[in-house]
Amino acid sequence: MTVGLTIYILMWPVLVATVMFAIARGFFKEWLKARREGRMII
Amino acid sequence: MPPASEGQEILQISIPVVVLLIILFYGGTLLISYFISRKKENADDYMTAGNKIGFGVSAASMTATWIWASSMYASAEAGYNYGVSGPIHYGFWGALMILFIYPFGKRIRKVAPRAHTLAEVMYARHGRSSQLMLAGSNVLGSTISLTSNFIAGGALFAILTPLNFGTGIVVVAAGVLLYTLWSGFRASVLTDFVQVMAMLGATAIIIPVVFFAAGGPDMFEAGVAAGNVTPEQQSFFSSEAFMNQGAPYIAAVLAYAIGNQTIAQRLFAVREDLIKPTFVTATIGYGATIIGIGMFGVIALYVGIDPLNGDLNSLIPQMAGTYLGPILLCLAFIMIIGSLSSTADSDLSALSSIVMADVYGQGKGRGKANPRTMLTVGRVTMIVATAAALYFATAQFSILDLLVFVGAMWGCLVFPVISSFYWKKVTNAAFSVSVVAALFVFLPVRFEWIPVDGILGYGVEILSIIGIGVILGIMGFGFFGMKPALIIATVGMVAVLPFSFNYLSDYPVLSASLVAYAVSFLVCYFMSFRSKQDFDYSVIKKITGDFDTEEDEAQLERTNVGNAATDKQGE
Repeated sequence: MTVGLTIYILMWPVLVATVMFAIARGFFKEWLKARREGRMII
Repeated sequence: MPPASEGQEILQISIPVVVLLIILFYGGTLLISYFISRKKENADDYMTAGNKIGFGVSAASMTATWIWASSMYASAEAGYNYGVSGPIHYGFWGALMILFIYPFGKRIRKVAPRAHTLAEVMYARHGRSSQLMLAGSNVLGSTISLTSNFIAGGALFAILTPLNFGTGIVVVAAGVLLYTLWSGFRASVLTDFVQVMAMLGATAIIIPVVFFAAGGPDMFEAGVAAGNVTPEQQSFFSSEAFMNQGAPYIAAVLAYAIGNQTIAQRLFAVREDLIKPTFVTATIGYGATIIGIGMFGVIALYVGIDPLNGDLNSLIPQMAGTYLGPILLCLAFIMIIGSLSSTADSDLSALSSIVMADVYGQGKGRGKANPRTMLTVGRVTMIVATAAALYFATAQFSILDLLVFVGAMWGCLVFPVISSFYWKKVTNAAFSVSVVAALFVFLPVRFEWIPVDGILGYGVEILSIIGIGVILGIMGFGFFGMKPALIIATVGMVAVLPFSFNYLSDYPVLSASLVAYAVSFLVCYFMSFRSKQDFDYSVIKKITGDFDTEEDEAQLERTNVGNAATDKQGE
C-alpha cells in the first residue's frame, strides 16, 4: 500500500513537468518565428 | 507566525515581501500587456486575437484558463473529504471533458470560423432569444467564476500574509483588471503563458516537498493507525466519492465546456489545424496539475490536519504555510496568484466579448456597429464586472458549491446547443422552450424545494436515468457518430437501471444535473423532430464575421508593421 500510494502522489508532478516542457517548446518556437518575420507573436 | 489549529503553526509571508511579489507578478504581466498593446486596438482582436494563434500560446492559455485557483482548492477539498479517489473524481473528469469537447469544437469552428462567442453563433442559427439565453448564462457563469477566483485570492492573503481577506480580493481584482483592460483577449492569452509556466513549475516542485515534509511514505500507515482515514477514504473505488463528487462533476463539466465563454473564445482564437494538439495538451496539463494539487487534501487527511476555522477553502494555503520554507512558500503564493489571475483575466475577456458582440454588436447590427465604440463597451464591461465580482466575493460562498451549481445550470443548454450544430430541424422555439423547461425542473430538484418522494420521486429518477443516457449519447456522438451514440446511450441507461432506481433521488446535486439534461433533450427533440425547418449552415459563416472593416484592418496592419520596424531599429 505504501509504495503504491507514494507513486500515486509523486507521479503527478512528473506529468506536470512534461506538459510544461511541451508548452514552453511550442511557445519559444513560435516566438522565434514571429521575431524572424518581424511581427508580434499575437 | 500565528497558530493554525492545535499543535500547528503556519508560516506567513511578511508585508514587504508580499508587496514585492505582487509588484513582480502584476508588474511583469502589465509589462507584457504593454509590449503587445497598440495605440488603436482592433475590436475583433480584442475578442479573439484574429483567429490565428499558435500552439504554444493557445495550449498555455487553454491550460491556464481551465486550471483556476478554485479548481485547485476544490480538488484539495475532494481529497480531504473523500480520500485517495477524491482528486481523481474532481480532476480526471474535468480533464476528460476538455477532450470530449474537442470534436464539437471542430464542428463549431467549421460552421463559424470567425465568430467571437457561442451566443453569437446561436443568434445566427436561431435568433435573438436563443442568443440572449446563452449569453445570459455565460454572463452569470463568468461572474460567478470571477467571484470565486477573487474569493480564492482573499483566502490566500488571509492565511499566508498578515493582510486580511478584503485586502486580498481588492489587490487581485485591481492587478487583473490593470493588465487586461487595454488589450483584452490578446493580453489575457499572452500573459497566460507566463502564468502557466509559474503554475506548472511551482506545482512540480511543491507537491513532492510537501509530501516528504509531512512524513513521506510513513504517513500512510501512521494515518490509518491514528484513525484519521476511513476504509472508504482509503479506497480508489469509493462509491461515496463517485456519487457525491465524480458523477455530478461529469454532468457539470461537460456543460462547463459548452457553456463557458472562456473556452469558446479560445476555440475561436486558435488556428483551426491546431485545435486538436491544443485540447490534448490542455487535457493532460489540467488533469495532472489539479489531481496533483488535490494530493494536498489527501496528505492533510492522512496527517490529521484540521482546516483553519473549519473552512476547506483554506486547505492549500494552510498546507503551504505549514510545510514549506520561506522561498517555496513564496513560490506557492505565486502559483495560486497565477492560477486565479489567469482565469480571472479570461473571465473578464469573456464578459467583455459577450457584451461587445452579443449585446452591442448584434444589437446594432453588423455593419452598423462602430468598432471604436465596441472597444469602449468592452472596457467598461470589464470595470463593471470587476466591481460586481468584488461585491459578491464579500459573501464568501463555498467555491465547490458554486462550481457545481453553475455547471449543472449549464446542463440545461448542452443538448439544445450541440444539436443546433448538427440537426437542421432544431428551431428557435425548441431551443428556447427546452432550456426554460429544463431550468424550471432543475431548480426545485437541486434546492429540494419540493419533496422528491412518491410519484414525484419516481419521475425524478426516470428523468435522471434518461439524463445519464443523454450524457453518454452526447459523448459517444462526438467521437463515434450517431449510431454508436444511440447504442452507448441505450446500453448505459439499461445498465444503470437496476442500481439507479430508488437511489438517485437521494443525491439532489447529481439528480438535478441529470434532470436538466433529460428535460432539455426531451423538449428539444419532441419540438423539433416534426419540424419542416431545413437550416442552411453556410448562413452562420456570413452572419458571424468580423466587426472591423477591411479598411480598419489595413490601417492597423500598416501601424503594426511600422511599430515592428521601429522596435527592430531600437534593438
